[in-house]
Amino acid sequence: MVKIEKTKFYGIFKVDGNLATVNLVPGEKVYGEELIKEKNVEYRYWDYWRSKPAAAIKNGLKILPLEKGMNILYLGIANGTTASHFSDIIGKEGLIYGVEISERPFRELLPLVEKRGNIVPILSNARKPEDYEDQILGKVDLVYEDVATEDQVEILIRNCEKFLKSEGFAIIAIKSQSIDVTRPPKEVYDECLQKLEKHFEILDKVKLDPYEKFHLFVVMKSKK
Amino acid sequence: MALYKVKTFIGIFTIDDNKKVISFSPFPKDPILVASRLKDEVDEAPEEIENFLKENLLRYALEYKFVKNQAEFNQFLTEVNSEIAKQKIKEIVSRDVLIIHTNNAIEELDKSINIFIERLREWYSLHFPEMDKVIEDHKTFAKLIEKFGNRKDIDDKRLNQFKEKSMGIDFTQEDIETVKALATTIIKLYELRERFSNYLSKLLKEIAPNFSVIAGDVVAAKLIAKAGGLERLARMPSSTIQLLGAEKALFRFLKSKEKFKSPKFGLIYNHPLIKSAPKDKQGKIARLLSSKLSIAARIDYYSKEYKADKMKKELEERVKEVLVAKK
Repeated sequence: MVKIEKTKFYGIFKVDGNLATVNLVPGEKVYGEELIKEKNVEYRYWDYWRSKPAAAIKNGLKILPLEKGMNILYLGIANGTTASHFSDIIGKEGLIYGVEISERPFRELLPLVEKRGNIVPILSNARKPEDYEDQILGKVDLVYEDVATEDQVEILIRNCEKFLKSEGFAIIAIKSQSIDVTRPPKEVYDECLQKLEKHFEILDKVKLDPYEKFHLFVVMKSKK
Repeated sequence: MALYKVKTFIGIFTIDDNKKVISFSPFPKDPILVASRLKDEVDEAPEEIENFLKENLLRYALEYKFVKNQAEFNQFLTEVNSEIAKQKIKEIVSRDVLIIHTNNAIEELDKSINIFIERLREWYSLHFPEMDKVIEDHKTFAKLIEKFGNRKDIDDKRLNQFKEKSMGIDFTQEDIETVKALATTIIKLYELRERFSNYLSKLLKEIAPNFSVIAGDVVAAKLIAKAGGLERLARMPSSTIQLLGAEKALFRFLKSKEKFKSPKFGLIYNHPLIKSAPKDKQGKIARLLSSKLSIAARIDYYSKEYKADKMKKELEERVKEVLVAKK
């Protein structure tokens, strides 16, 4: 008998103690995760070693603004491991615009998006929102950023100014080692948070150790 | 009143100043066709009107019965963009990726050959231990086994004297055939390596003619692979090229400046100009070399004009000056 519990987050469950979402495309695995079927609902385990929001929930995140039908701008979607769970949660009425600069992970992402039908793949540099503004229809409810670059905070702010609804949400996974390896992570985080606070109200933040080293996961709400 | 034509992924709208849609001609529901149609240029409409249409596109798509519901709308949007991405991938993947794969394959072959040859030497030494010391060259070692098999059949003037009084055990025909199969495979791997390395030289001549002449094929390929492509190499400052491959030492130095010295070179150490120079001059030569390399990479990426001979001469003269100069 499989034990299924609700969590405080919409669309996220605990199945035998593992985080899981309801598979949007039953029978399809995305990255080799386990599928569990119970009472005609198929759950996909959400591996917190491979996906940062799952690690954040594991480490006690209190707020994760994901809901059915949401429109999300996802910067740094890579091969869609994390995005596939977002896609489960928001359902067929929601949309994820996934921006990625490197063409390599697109080989795995493209078959995935065609099956799911709610992820729009955009092969572009997130530093240049002008390049993909034509592909994004209207404003989004959430901007999620996971790009490991020195200017990741600036990239998030620029994209939010262009694409985020007023009082919309933003989530960033700050990687201190990409911003400055020579300084202690705490110093780097504080500096990033200061920059972010000018534009956002910080709702929650949590470190991702030991699942991702030197990462801070921050959930915010736009002040505009 | 002005009328504008606005292209969206579901079709072309004609819309007036007051954001009233006059007409709509839908695209065929074929993602490949739509992706190519979206590429054609149309006259720009004011941003306000374009944004209005974008934000209300779902409503119009339902109104004009282009789709039945939002899920179908999303599915089509996804497929069109997937097609756009596919076409874009074809445009941006450049041939220098071939250099990276070939270079890395050669490095992996070298590792594999080493592992296998070590095994072969140990294995065959049961039968003919004296040969291990006498035949130092790996390829020759494997070739002798492939050709003769049993030590009694070996005909080689360096080995003949050891054959009779060898302390090795006797091998059966099957033992011999088995170890021979390993030797054959190793020789095949050597041939593969040779083929890859010829192909790599050709690629370098085509893609990075200046850079490869100044760096030498081996170093050139390694640097391009490490940088992740010619474009990235062309964008690097020469100091970064100088230290490519020495990241560990560099960051160790940056983290605790007192305890460690900064590295002077990375992969370019394998360049003959540096390798052959006295120790106290190597750092200076590394700087000279890397600055020439960065210029060459930029010429290769942006113009392809061949200037390498002149540049190489300049570099060699500068290095000579450095070598004769007293400290």
